[in-house]
Amino acid sequence: MYYRLLRNDMIKGKVITLTTMLFVAAAAMLVALAAILVINLSGAIDTLMTQAETPHFTQMHAGELDLARLEAFAVQNEAVAGFQAVEFLNMDGAQFLFAGGSLADSVQDNGFSVQNEKFDFLLDLAGNLITVSDGELYVPIAYIQDGTAQVGEMVSIAGRTFTIAGALRDSQMQPLLSSSKRFLVSQNDYDALRQFGSVEYLIEFRLHDLDDLGAFETDYTSAGLEANGPTLTYALFRMFNGLSDGLMIAVLLLVSALVIAIAFLCIRFTLLAKIEDDYREIGVMKAIGLRIEDIKKIYLTKYIAIAAAGSLLGYGLSFLFRDVLLANIRLYMGESDNTSLAPILGFVSVVLVFLAIVAYVNGVLGRFRKISPAEAVRYGMSQGKAGGARHFRLSINQLLDTNVFLGIKDVLARKSLYITMLAVLVLAAFIIIVPQNLHNTISSNSFITYMGVANSDLRIDIQQTDQIANKAVEIAEAMEKDQSISRFAVLTTKTFRVKLADGSQERIKIELGDHLVFPLAYTDGRAPAAENEIALSVLNANEMHKKVGDVITVIINGKETTLAVCGVYSDVTNGGKTAKAVFSDDSAEVMWSVITAELVDPSMVDEKIAEYANRFSFAKVSDIDEFIRQTYGGTIRAIGKASYGAIGIALALTMLITLLFMRMLIAKDRYTIAVMKAFGFTNTDIKAQYVARSVFVLVVGILLGTLLANTIGEILAGVVIASFGASSFKFVINPAFAYLLSPLLMAGVVLAATILGTLDAGQIQISENIKE
Amino acid sequence: MKTLIACENVTKSFGLGSEKRNVLDGISVDIHQGEFVAVMGPSGSGKSTLLYALSGMDCVDSGKVVFDGADFSALKESELADLRRTKMGFVFQQPTLLRNLNILDNILLPSMRDGRKNGVQLTEKAKTFMEKTGIAGLEMRDITQASGGQLQRVGICRALMGDPKIIFGDEPTGALNSTSASEIMRLLADIHQSGVTILLVTHDVRVAAQTERVLFILDGKIAGEYLPDADDEARDDFKAREAGLTAWLTGMKF
Repeated sequence: MYYRLLRNDMIKGKVITLTTMLFVAAAAMLVALAAILVINLSGAIDTLMTQAETPHFTQMHAGELDLARLEAFAVQNEAVAGFQAVEFLNMDGAQFLFAGGSLADSVQDNGFSVQNEKFDFLLDLAGNLITVSDGELYVPIAYIQDGTAQVGEMVSIAGRTFTIAGALRDSQMQPLLSSSKRFLVSQNDYDALRQFGSVEYLIEFRLHDLDDLGAFETDYTSAGLEANGPTLTYALFRMFNGLSDGLMIAVLLLVSALVIAIAFLCIRFTLLAKIEDDYREIGVMKAIGLRIEDIKKIYLTKYIAIAAAGSLLGYGLSFLFRDVLLANIRLYMGESDNTSLAPILGFVSVVLVFLAIVAYVNGVLGRFRKISPAEAVRYGMSQGKAGGARHFRLSINQLLDTNVFLGIKDVLARKSLYITMLAVLVLAAFIIIVPQNLHNTISSNSFITYMGVANSDLRIDIQQTDQIANKAVEIAEAMEKDQSISRFAVLTTKTFRVKLADGSQERIKIELGDHLVFPLAYTDGRAPAAENEIALSVLNANEMHKKVGDVITVIINGKETTLAVCGVYSDVTNGGKTAKAVFSDDSAEVMWSVITAELVDPSMVDEKIAEYANRFSFAKVSDIDEFIRQTYGGTIRAIGKASYGAIGIALALTMLITLLFMRMLIAKDRYTIAVMKAFGFTNTDIKAQYVARSVFVLVVGILLGTLLANTIGEILAGVVIASFGASSFKFVINPAFAYLLSPLLMAGVVLAATILGTLDAGQIQISENIKE
Repeated sequence: MKTLIACENVTKSFGLGSEKRNVLDGISVDIHQGEFVAVMGPSGSGKSTLLYALSGMDCVDSGKVVFDGADFSALKESELADLRRTKMGFVFQQPTLLRNLNILDNILLPSMRDGRKNGVQLTEKAKTFMEKTGIAGLEMRDITQASGGQLQRVGICRALMGDPKIIFGDEPTGALNSTSASEIMRLLADIHQSGVTILLVTHDVRVAAQTERVLFILDGKIAGEYLPDADDEARDDFKAREAGLTAWLTGMKF
């Protein structure tokens, strides 16, 4: 009997059955893909980092190196399993000449290494240690993938010719967020190139137990060893490696959550409509003594069938798409060890989707308990539901057109039915606005100020050279005289010791200078203005357990000086552990200087870069826009594309759901329409009523969606933005888009779908639907 | 008497191919202004279909229906709707009320389409009809809070709101107990007295006996016509009228 009921019901409502099934399939597919990707990504990262024997602790250092002292420290420290101090030959990007152009514009620190002997190995695409011969060059995989270089190509570097022998995987410096890129050459070639670049050191340690890393970091800092450069740890490498694919997984999960929500809404709508239609029958079944479980089974069977078919279809589809999505992971990190686990976990997640749907349907069917058999048999409907929005009466309406009134009245009276459409519209508005706002925010000039980078036109870095302070003064003097520069700031970074609460001391990098010229966006508080103030980066503030208003003791000129924490800011530069202050100091050695400048005419930026680069060859002059383009350009473009994709998907979804909803509503309202027509309402009147319903729900949906997008959406986008390193931000909204174009687009789609969906309303024959 | 509806050789069929069945098979009949007419016949004979054809709610396959000088076949859907709203009223077996509206709003519904600016006057008019039909005080009630008889009166009030020339009734007493049915018929008789033409479909001899003319329909054709008023003896005696009609129907093999 169940089978027959099921079959009849599905054939009768085949469009809605098919749509619901497709949504379930899409949700199942996305969830399965996300699960498969998670397993593969974590497995591939583990494999890569195991094969490469990634260091647990790396201290980058520019300047003199006391190897004996470092070796002694490594021997004495019980946690250390392996130690090496290897060279990284940093070379100007212009020296790398590929067929596709030079790396002159690259904001990455490109340089050479030889293959390490103990650990931190550079691997080929098969995951093997690369043995490099003289005249061969192995290039970071990213440059091969983006077409900058090609395997087999002859390249010229500092006058020497190399053949690109292959791509290399670098577990430490491969991710885009890592600011250096290692090219692999033989020892002989390295020695020949050495005179053309500047040497930096990678002081690397592997520990017996990774759990000791925290203590080891403290030991290293306390020992006052070489630390002129960022400090990086195993956890950071792992996070960097997983970031871009991790973001993709996060987006997949977000989209699948959305699709599941829509599948739930479809189910809810069809189920509620069906229950309302069958109200009398359900009452009769209860009256003649059928148990609620028996009645539920009739309805549940249908949805179990839909959910099972959809889940299986989705799982099948995930196999079609997973290779495309896994390509990037495979290329950068290689195969995962636990690939066999992925389909199993994928299946488990699909089963979870299936169970969630069944549980949801079961929950909705709980309404059967509330149906009174007497009421259902007598009236064929719930007494409580009739005549909602009592105070909204036709008899006192003089303002609204009667058709508009009837449309709005219907929405208010049958809220539970319209909530489905409302939810879809809210979601659609949300999906349209949030990615657009996110894209706007990260592509706006002010966004970098959330990440510790000042918003200026020009940035000049002076590091890894002597007399940094004098050189900075030299540039500042030149800028002072330069009429084309409207304002500039010289910021000098020095290392100081900070006294912690337990009496121990730690080193901290403090950037000194006027921080008000190009202010950053502060998570909390403000930039330092007085001599006794200091602002801390989020990482430093968290580590030191300090917040705005607290004080810290810094040793300046040999004296303990108390500074008040006046602000906390996000920072992605220099390992994220920085501080800013304005006090003057002559004691500590300058680590580096950054000069930021704003031009009177920003279009002159290229010209000015060339001029300053030429005049001050010791400095690295860069364009902030170029810096953003190269560091985040790919991501900004990807989010831009995703946001346009989201608009397309949201509008298609709005169209589909509104169309389905209207068709179902017309089918459901046949009797009411027939009554209206019998009493002289025209087809145009009926359509106007449905358009009024749609527009009413649309207006509420857009208002709610926009509100949610700017509240919850901002928080959600914050999760994505945090992955860029910015811990707090405000949406940069394009009002013309968010408040005009997006509502107009949605309104157009909803109206078109309503008109299309209500075409049938005119075909309803009065006699067929009203006859006794 | 002036002809209000002229129906000429009307046919209407349902189904296709071998399943095709002529429900109205070349019917010609005139309904005059001010008449009180009942249509009777066995189930499936085409009574309701005739009513829907005469009111323009259903289109016919062939033949012609002219209402108050307007040929239905020449009218657009919207013009037919206007005609139904302004010159006709309908009362069905079930109340056909909208569940989202209270009783007063249900009565006002068709007239408010054009006259919302006159809402106050229309509301007063509706209340007057409610008073006359004995349902005053139910204005704000939900339709689920009234009895079947009360709802049928609501339907009559709604039908009267447009000051119609004719009221069509499709078994208006069919779902009511005998007391309620008598009251509804008394109301319809009063409305007829005020000059409104009434055409109703019924299978109840007692209802039909209260009209001026009974059309008997069989297999899609008008098989006969009974005029109780022609029988002088029965004119003012309800029992006699009912007996006369019953005898006639028996003769028609009803």
